[in-house]
Amino acid sequence: MENQQTTKSELLKFVPSPSRPPVTITYGPIGWLKKNLFGNIWNTLLTIAVFTLLFLLLKPFLEWTVLKAVWTASTRRECIDISPDGACWAGIFPWVNNLIYGLYPDTLQWRINLGIGIGILWFIPLALKKAQQKMIFSLMGVLLYPFLANYLFLGGDRSNFHYIMACAGLAYLLILYVNIILTYLNRKRVEEYLEPFLERFCRKNATRWAYLTIWMFITVIIAFILRNQTLEHVSVDAWGGLFLTLIISGVSIAMALPIGIILALGRRSEMPIIKWFSLCTIELVRSVPMITVLFMSVTMLPLFFPNTMELNKLVQVLVAVCLFAGAYMAETVRGGLQAIPRGQYDAAKSVGLGYWHTMIFIILPQALRAMIPNIVTSFISLFKDTTLVSIIGLFDIMLMARNISIDKNWLGLHSEPLVAISVLFFVFCYTMSQYSQRLEKKLNTNR
Amino acid sequence: MRLGYEVFSKSIIIAHSKWLRSCKIITLKKLLYDSSYRSKLIQGLTLLLVCGIGYYFYSNVVENLHRMELPFGFDFISSTAGFDIGWSIIPYDPTMSYAWVYLVGICNTLILSALIIFFATALGFVVGIIRLSRNFLLSQCARWYVEFIRNVPLLIQIIFWFIVVFSTLPAPRGSYHLLDTFFLNNRGFYFPAPVFETNSSWTVIAALLACICSYILLKKSQIFRKRNGKRLPILYPSLIALLGFVAIIFMVTGSPLHWAVPSLQGFNFHDGFFFPTAFMAAFVAMTTYRSATIGEMVRAGIQSIDPGQLEAASAIGFSRFKTLRLIIVPQAARAILPPLINIWLTIVKESSLAVAIGFPELVSVFIQTSLNQTGRAIEIVLMVMGFYMCTSLSISYIMNRYNKRIQLQEG
Repeated sequence: MENQQTTKSELLKFVPSPSRPPVTITYGPIGWLKKNLFGNIWNTLLTIAVFTLLFLLLKPFLEWTVLKAVWTASTRRECIDISPDGACWAGIFPWVNNLIYGLYPDTLQWRINLGIGIGILWFIPLALKKAQQKMIFSLMGVLLYPFLANYLFLGGDRSNFHYIMACAGLAYLLILYVNIILTYLNRKRVEEYLEPFLERFCRKNATRWAYLTIWMFITVIIAFILRNQTLEHVSVDAWGGLFLTLIISGVSIAMALPIGIILALGRRSEMPIIKWFSLCTIELVRSVPMITVLFMSVTMLPLFFPNTMELNKLVQVLVAVCLFAGAYMAETVRGGLQAIPRGQYDAAKSVGLGYWHTMIFIILPQALRAMIPNIVTSFISLFKDTTLVSIIGLFDIMLMARNISIDKNWLGLHSEPLVAISVLFFVFCYTMSQYSQRLEKKLNTNR
Repeated sequence: MRLGYEVFSKSIIIAHSKWLRSCKIITLKKLLYDSSYRSKLIQGLTLLLVCGIGYYFYSNVVENLHRMELPFGFDFISSTAGFDIGWSIIPYDPTMSYAWVYLVGICNTLILSALIIFFATALGFVVGIIRLSRNFLLSQCARWYVEFIRNVPLLIQIIFWFIVVFSTLPAPRGSYHLLDTFFLNNRGFYFPAPVFETNSSWTVIAALLACICSYILLKKSQIFRKRNGKRLPILYPSLIALLGFVAIIFMVTGSPLHWAVPSLQGFNFHDGFFFPTAFMAAFVAMTTYRSATIGEMVRAGIQSIDPGQLEAASAIGFSRFKTLRLIIVPQAARAILPPLINIWLTIVKESSLAVAIGFPELVSVFIQTSLNQTGRAIEIVLMVMGFYMCTSLSISYIMNRYNKRIQLQEG
């Protein structure tokens, strides 16, 4: 009773409730600062503490890398005389050539540039919107480019088959680019110009035959033009540096996907022998470190072949890395396959598609598209893992960088080369990971 | 008569056709177009191919080994190794056998990976939580820490820590020290080692006993809580009893434990225990590398919790700590644990990278040194791979069982 009375008496006289505090600004730069850095007293203290810590850490680093660094000197001694506690970047520059090309002869380095340039050219159309049949030319790239690259990088006397394949690769690339230019000019494709002439002989696949005719014709022309050109042989031992790293990662990335798809399909197969065979392969390879697989390939693999056969270290390493990458890729692909709803299989079966048709036209395109970000992630880790080949003595970019410190002019120059190649790897991997994140977002919004 | 003959002949024809149908004549057509036969054909061919390749390899191996006069067999593991190993946690000297070398390698690998797993997980959780901080500067720091570390190959980081950081530390005389008990110099990290005396087993027994008792108490209190719905104040009494009991036993038996503090004598430290420079470099590099990965995982795990869960918790009046303990951690653990197990397995495998800086772990002592000395490539590679396989498979088996227990039982 008493309580009620007091409230009533309070109600009688009007007391305005205290007005609310003004709304904190959450827009504009000041609002952003207030919200994210100086929200309350603890936040402010934290910001100041972190800022001081960052300053204390970054200042010596900045001094070492930029402010006190030496950019031109001829020996390390000179570097130390100029600035004792700065980085000696001067030591990197004389070695840049070796870091990129290894011990490849200076006069022949245009071959590497050309080969890698052609490789890049081959895959540029993937990013173009109007380019057609992307699957086919990337597949052709995987099939034909190795011949061309091998021909350029290794040189020496090659078999006729090899020579023809390399020329066919060049011809294919030429037609591809002509076709793309024609599509952008809104003209007919090359083979469509020839189609009317061939329709007399073969009604059915005139376009295809026209294409093949042009391709063969150009191949023969290229082969005829280049018939007298012989490239000097460069032994695999001279390969090194960034070039070798790119070769190993490129080959293993190209091989990982097919091996991974086959193993993943095998693992989900209903045939017990094939299922167990792929399961064992995947699990065995995945449960051991990559370095043991590499050691296995250099110590054990030679015993598995007759001693008349000469193996080179690069091929052994490539086999090991491909196997390893394939087993990991298999698990990634399997994740994609599992995400495909059962209805897709049933639908494919109901329209009468067999196993391979179902897989190639229905399941794999969807599974791979959903898995692109994961596939890029495994490519990144594969690219980083290629540095392991330096442990078994291949002169990849890392071992090259380590070698600077035993150059007599730059004796003891350890940290600068390591920092330099770290930055290189960071740029490569960070771009790739950002790309995969963008792809992921794009794929998610497309759904 | 005629009818009888017709019936007879017809029945024979029917029987014959039935027999024809029943006996499975495998024709080429059937093999290619009947799915069950085709699958058998494919499997048979695969088996044949694998066996063929296996036989080819086997015959080559036999021939090569015969040529090199190296019999296949594991008899070499009992012979004397004869080389020294830089650092081991179990006693070793060059007169011991290859089997012991194998064990030394395994122990070194395990201690390295165990320490990395522990510290990387702890640091990873810290990084993941900082990454989610509302303070922009702090979360960006964590973000760039993660980006920088995980986009540079681990091998470069290991070598960087070894060559640039740990090898340039001062010599033992001028080593960095903490309270004159922990020393860091260019030979390694020195710290006090526990020395157990004869009576110390009693303390161990007491500690075990106390642990068992408190476990029983915990179970009892859970049962009590289920029956009566009340919480017994169990934590502090059991903790005090546990510590007090062990401390009393420790005192009564005459404090049978002391620490051997490292001390500088001549040019090096004596007493105590130490981790060599290579160990420290591998440890720091791999811990930071994996903490970045784990940090990203923890962030993803915490972000995967539905914000509605937190709102619900605050709606029924949970405090922040209680929300964390009862709502966030159990649900985040479900999302984090499976990838975390994978990372732990990766760490065990990755610890073999310490071979690059000469830390005597399994790959270094066995595949490198022992293989060079004995030339038994196949046996040694198989033994090393066998160890990694056993470890990986057993850890994944145990952790998957645990994982199944804590996953949400749906349906």
